[in-house]
Amino acid sequence: MPDGSPQPAIILNGISKGFPGGQALENVSFAVEPGQVRALLGENGAGKSTLLKILSGIYRADAGEIRIRGKAVDIRTPKSARLAGIALIHQELRQVPELDVAQNMFLGNPLTRFGLFTNRAAMQRKARALLSQLDPAIVVRAKIKDLRVAQRQIVEIAKALLGEARIIAMDEPTSSLTPVEFEKLVGVIEQLKNDGVAVIYVSHKLDEVFRVASHATILRDGKLVADVDLSASSEDAVVSMMVGRSLDIPPHQSHVQNSVVLSVEGLCRDRQVRDVSLELRKGEVLGIAGLVGSGRTELVKLLAGVDRPTAGKITLHGKTMVFANPREAIAAGIALLPEDRKKEGIIPLRSVAVNAAMPSYRKLTHFDIIRTAQLSAQVNDLARNVNLRPHDIERAIRLFSGGNQQKAILCRWLMAGSDILVFDEPTRGIDVGAEGEIYRLIESLAAAGRAIIVVSSELPEILRLSDNVIVMRSATMAGRLSRSELSEEAVMSLAITGKLAA
Amino acid sequence: MSTSFANRIGGWRISWREMGTVAGLVIMVVVFAGLSGVFLTQRNLVNILQQSSINACIAIGTTLVIISGGIDLSVGPAAALAAVLSASLLVAGFPVAVVILAALAVGLLCGLVNGSLIAYAGLQPFIVTLGTLSLFRALALIYTGGNPILSLPNEFRRIFSSEVLGLPVPVIVVGVLAIAATVLLKKTPLGEYILAVGGNVEAPRVSGVPIERTKVITYMTSGGLAALAAVILIARLGAAEPTLGNLWELEAIAAAAIGGASLMGGKGSIFGTILGAIVLGAMRNGLTLLNVQAFYQLLATGIIIILAMLVDRLARGKG
Repeated sequence: MPDGSPQPAIILNGISKGFPGGQALENVSFAVEPGQVRALLGENGAGKSTLLKILSGIYRADAGEIRIRGKAVDIRTPKSARLAGIALIHQELRQVPELDVAQNMFLGNPLTRFGLFTNRAAMQRKARALLSQLDPAIVVRAKIKDLRVAQRQIVEIAKALLGEARIIAMDEPTSSLTPVEFEKLVGVIEQLKNDGVAVIYVSHKLDEVFRVASHATILRDGKLVADVDLSASSEDAVVSMMVGRSLDIPPHQSHVQNSVVLSVEGLCRDRQVRDVSLELRKGEVLGIAGLVGSGRTELVKLLAGVDRPTAGKITLHGKTMVFANPREAIAAGIALLPEDRKKEGIIPLRSVAVNAAMPSYRKLTHFDIIRTAQLSAQVNDLARNVNLRPHDIERAIRLFSGGNQQKAILCRWLMAGSDILVFDEPTRGIDVGAEGEIYRLIESLAAAGRAIIVVSSELPEILRLSDNVIVMRSATMAGRLSRSELSEEAVMSLAITGKLAA
Repeated sequence: MSTSFANRIGGWRISWREMGTVAGLVIMVVVFAGLSGVFLTQRNLVNILQQSSINACIAIGTTLVIISGGIDLSVGPAAALAAVLSASLLVAGFPVAVVILAALAVGLLCGLVNGSLIAYAGLQPFIVTLGTLSLFRALALIYTGGNPILSLPNEFRRIFSSEVLGLPVPVIVVGVLAIAATVLLKKTPLGEYILAVGGNVEAPRVSGVPIERTKVITYMTSGGLAALAAVILIARLGAAEPTLGNLWELEAIAAAAIGGASLMGGKGSIFGTILGAIVLGAMRNGLTLLNVQAFYQLLATGIIIILAMLVDRLARGKG
């Protein structure tokens, strides 16, 4: 703890920011003490990113003041933010992959000899000194592209410390970390706390927030909703403050019917998937759990015809199938809602209508001319069913939030009439409110008799949705759990050790 | 933000970008009309269309290729190859219809070679068509021994020099093709596939779009249209040179870019490209009427292309 009267490291007072489209932030205030971790919570569009951008000098607030250690500061550019001791760790790290760790840490600010030549030795020495405290395993001469995401993040934190940052804001730092890597980050954050750095932590994952942060500022529609002492609150309470209503989770209902829709025997692909067998019934939600890299995504890509298996048999409605490409899988009724929506899901420049109709165009033509009216009507109906917001199917899909993009892609497959829907990380990058909506959609699809596969790293998601769960571990199936055997411990134990704990 | 761009399924609406090109053309016409009394005569306007028709024909194909995320540098040599082959057939006395079909077949074949190497072998469009640029040209030169094929039959030449409703046949042919290509792009599944493939390849693939077939068709269209442009040109000249079509690819890319096609793919319109071709044609015609040296015409072309891109950039920055 710093000396007797702790002065907050940073105070935000009545920050407001408007855009032509509306008010992004309205009179938001909070303070972070040195050595404190404060979470910044809210749904997408609540104003978190705007606030981070104001803190890092990308936007300027319309009103309000920022005080750092008692002194009012004017943050007008990213540089003045840095001089004020504020550093932002971006969700998508801004590093030069081909340069090494030390070069990246001193990027734009290199140490020099006689002001002329870069002094690599000195930079490496300094980088090594800093990193040895955070993660001694990081080699300063390794290229950034050869590091794991978690390590790259630590390099970024070290770079912030190098710039004498006393306030470090982290934007969704764990979005691509494994549980083990998250533990590492927790350790680094502990060190920052001990050194008296104030940390602002933005994340959707509430379990992590409760682990890492002591206090939380909750935003909704740009307004401050609550300032919460997390030690005296619960995840449910925080979620209901974030969404402004209570999210009651309905008890799991099984809609599994008898007829087997899809069965897979001994499916293999190189070293990515080895000897996986499974069965999927009508109305069933089959969860596929496992650590990142355990072969889950690779497995479902085989089912959806994106990749081709090297061995094994896929039987659909009793018929053996070999898919040469996704088109054939789609024709057979299997649809994939991919994990990486930006890359594999959306066609960014085109409208929701075009995105939804893509696999179905051939069915909607008259002498090869698209029947526009009929197509629009169909997409409109589906968009209403999935509650697309805003309900504007002519709007470019990239302008929608992650949750609504996911709904649009769901429309795509409902329109195509797919009866097996494979969701790979259905709620990745989607905020809490929309998450519940996606869950309810999945449940109602199962109730309507569609067969569903959900691949997920989020245990609560697996536990909420699945009738049965397959746990993958290093490319093989570690085990299968029915609803009655399902628990967080059982899944984790299979995922990590390959065995059920005694 | 202008989302009107080709976003409505099958919409005919003219986008802001196309309006911009129209505005640019109008300004140019006003300036030239002020400087030269001849510019705005009906005869000269028809002339501009006639002079633009070959580039417009090529540029329609180029636009489809660019929208699909590719590039076709080989259109000029493909046209030359079609030109010398059809010219030698004409001289040998084959009927005109057969010759035109043969020319088209040559163009489609050139496109098939490009498209297959790009879509199935997975090679980069720029490099593949750079290679076939040399290859097709070499074939044309080897076939003719480097000599032009002269004195094409008048019966053939008449078809393309006659007029219908006061418009030269080439202008009408290209106009019809432009409308057909617009319908293709805006109203058919293939058009949607072309737009989708250019924006992002993985997403359309997972959505069941036949990526390879779509790409091959765009290159075949480009090759076919190059052959048609060649036929129009040799009918006008009455001879076919193995060196014809030099730098056609750059003219066509310029027209597409002025018309709003993005070289990143996923964006562009036939109407815009036709306007782009007319802008280039009108400028050249106007400068010639004003007796401006050819060197300065080249200079003006360069300036117009860069201006169009700057306006594009500014408009997008604002959105």
